[in-house]
Amino acid sequence: MYRTFTKEELAEFNGKNGKKAYVAYKGKVYDVTGSFHWKDGKHWVVHEAGKDLTMEMKDAPHFDDLLEPFEVVGILKND
Amino acid sequence: MGKVAREIVELSGIDVKALLELLVRNAAAEFTTFYYYTILRVNLIGLEGEGLKAITEDARIEDRNHFEALVPRIYELGGELPRNMKDFHDLSACPEAYLPENPKDIQAMLKVLVAAERCAIRGYNAICNMTFGKDHRTYELALAILNEEIQHEAWFSEFIGEGPSGHFQRQGGENSPFASKYL
Repeated sequence: MYRTFTKEELAEFNGKNGKKAYVAYKGKVYDVTGSFHWKDGKHWVVHEAGKDLTMEMKDAPHFDDLLEPFEVVGILKND
Repeated sequence: MGKVAREIVELSGIDVKALLELLVRNAAAEFTTFYYYTILRVNLIGLEGEGLKAITEDARIEDRNHFEALVPRIYELGGELPRNMKDFHDLSACPEAYLPENPKDIQAMLKVLVAAERCAIRGYNAICNMTFGKDHRTYELALAILNEEIQHEAWFSEFIGEGPSGHFQRQGGENSPFASKYL
C-alpha cells in the first residue's frame, strides 16, 4: 500500500539539508535521493525536488523511462 | 563582465543566474571528462581497445576545447569559475567517467563513454532550449558543442551494437569542426 502525499507533504522532501528527495510524475511519487542528477534536490539547476514535475517533463531532453530505476514511494493526491 | 552583453540576456527574460550555473556545471563536466578520458584512453589497449583509442582521443581533445570555449562566455555574463579546483570538479553536470574496475572489459569502457556523451547531449540541449531566440551568442555556442557531442555519442554507440550512426571519424587530424571558432 503506497503512501498518499499532498503537495504540501511532498514539498517536505526537497533533498536539501539531508532530507530525502522525492519528485512526482503522473501521479506517482519517486524517491530520487542519491541520484547524481538530483544532488541537493536540484536537477539541471532549474528543476527542484519536492514538486510535481509532470508539466516540466514535457520539455525535458529525455523520456520518462529515466525515472524507472527509482523506487515509487507513494501517490500524489489530486487537489 | 560585459555590462551590455549581460544586460541584453537579462532583458530577454532569461534567468542569468541559472544560465551561468548551467554553463559552469557543463564547463566542469568538460574539464573533468577531459581528465577521466585521459585515463580511459591510455587503458584502451589490445585488439579491442586499440579500435576505440582514436575516437576516444578525439572526444577527449574536443571536450577540453568545449571547456575552453565556454569559459569566455561565463565571464562575459558575469560568472566565474570556482577558485578551488576540487569545488569545480564536484560541480560537474555529469557523473565521473571513471575507469572501470576491469579496464580490459571493453563493454564496460563503452558504457562509461556513451553515458558521458549522452549526459553532455542532454546538458547542451537544455542550454539551447533555454537560450533559443533570446541569448543568441550562448545558443550558438551551445549548439556548436551539442553538434560535437552528438558525433561523439554516434562514434561510441556503433560499438555497443546500436547500428550505423551515419557519422565518420575526424578527417585530417582536425578537431572541433563546430566549436573551433570559439577557441
